[in-house]
Amino acid sequence: MFKYQFRWDVIPNNLDFLFSGLNTTLILSALTLVLAMIGGLVIALLDMSRYRPVRLVGVGFGEVIRNTPILVQLLWVYYVLPIVFSLRIDAFTALVIGLTVYQSAFISEVYRAGIQAVPKGHREAAQVLGLTQIQAFRRIVLPQAIRMTLPPLASNFVQLIKFSSLGAVISVTEITRRGMELSSSTFRPLEIFTFIAVVYFFICWPLAMAIRLWERRLALR
Amino acid sequence: MPGTAIIAAEGVSKRFDTHEVLTRVSLSVAEREVVCVVGPSGSGKTTLLRCFALLETPSEGRVVMDGQVIATSEPTPAIKKAGRVVRANIGMVFQHFNLWPHMSVLENVIEAPMLVRGLKRKDAVAVADRLLDKVGLSDKRDAYPGRLSGGQQQRVAIARALAMSPKVMLFDEPTSALDPELRREVLLVMRQLAAEGMTMLVVTHEMGFARHVGTRVVFMDRGEIVEESVPAQFFGSPRTERAQRFLQQFED
Ligand SMILES: Nc1ncnc2c1ncn2[C@@H]1O[C@H](COP(=O)(O)OP(=O)(O)O)[C@@H](O)[C@H]1O
Ligand SMILES: [Mg+2]
Repeated sequence: MFKYQFRWDVIPNNLDFLFSGLNTTLILSALTLVLAMIGGLVIALLDMSRYRPVRLVGVGFGEVIRNTPILVQLLWVYYVLPIVFSLRIDAFTALVIGLTVYQSAFISEVYRAGIQAVPKGHREAAQVLGLTQIQAFRRIVLPQAIRMTLPPLASNFVQLIKFSSLGAVISVTEITRRGMELSSSTFRPLEIFTFIAVVYFFICWPLAMAIRLWERRLALR
Repeated sequence: MPGTAIIAAEGVSKRFDTHEVLTRVSLSVAEREVVCVVGPSGSGKTTLLRCFALLETPSEGRVVMDGQVIATSEPTPAIKKAGRVVRANIGMVFQHFNLWPHMSVLENVIEAPMLVRGLKRKDAVAVADRLLDKVGLSDKRDAYPGRLSGGQQQRVAIARALAMSPKVMLFDEPTSALDPELRREVLLVMRQLAAEGMTMLVVTHEMGFARHVGTRVVFMDRGEIVEESVPAQFFGSPRTERAQRFLQQFED
């Protein structure tokens, strides 16, 4: 029934080629995470603004991004954005923009949850002692919110590593794209994509495990 | 016996939407007084205390401290400024402690003196050490609040409020969230404070404390002050029927 002859030597013979793609994957994910952490903060601040129109912009943006597929957004950034704004962007930049926007919308929710999880009484205690609103936010709310936010942010990094594989569709030479290129020249897709899946797994799985441990330790405090 | 008024509510009403929680409440606390506010739950005691602490804005009436208006329904910038200035002189202890869990006991106590009063860390620590000794928690100075019992947390909260050298201390049912065997240690600290002449406004269900430590008892019901007298009179022969009915539940 299953007559396929596996030829695994295709992997070691092209390891450098594949790992150059892995390098791009990791750089892309890290860069996007940093940008999305900033983007998420901007959206969270818009969401929590005391001015209704500003809030609507933040909330509306978040809703649109969270409720459309990321692949469609990427294709839109790659094909439509350059025409609408008549600028030239390469595939890598398009991917960074697309992933940043997408992930920002989720990270803003992470921030918001972190801030809202700090009991109101903690802030009131600070107010009664004479701290200004800004002091109370900086010294009492933010440190607690950040602590709660770190594990979900790390999970976002894992997600980004996986989502960055979508770059293959717009020809960003990350590891999945390298795999596609290699398989069309060697006709060994089974070996190659199996190997690539394993590589993703052994990056993402330990990270996810570490995050789970970390969350459990925070919960114990 | 009472000296000059430290803090006073003058005709304070408070509405949440249309629901009236306080109705024209006037209450003045003089220097060295220990005023105990008692009454059924939902009668507006917490809301009144929060108006004094400037955590709620009155819908009508005003709050006065040292003869200066610090809160009204529509405060002018001058009133707002007065509120910001005197706020640190009003200490408040909450039912649920509200310690900051990411800071050690010592850090909880020195935070406001350093940020608000501009004390140097060394001086703030000296003050904190003295106060932690006073509430009997010197050995917990470097512990985190999560490791302390409720009674210990509440005593830290008291030390934290005292570190600002407040002119008046507000307590909102400070022992209600505690197991019965932990209440005594908190009540002892409060009793000691009263003996030292601290001006106190205490919302409480501890009738023993109100009777023996209070200098005046205020009975609230449905957003109004119904009765106000010295403890011996209030507990001996309450004038109103509502107070009599309220006191009956503590007898047996
Ligand atoms: N922020 C709020 N919004 C709406 N209603 C409130 C709020 N705070 C208190 N209340 C209502 O005001 C009434 C008095 O509450 P409270 O002052 O806490 O009473 P007490 O401390 O005597 O139990 C209650 O009916 C309560 O539901
Ligand atoms: Mg209450």
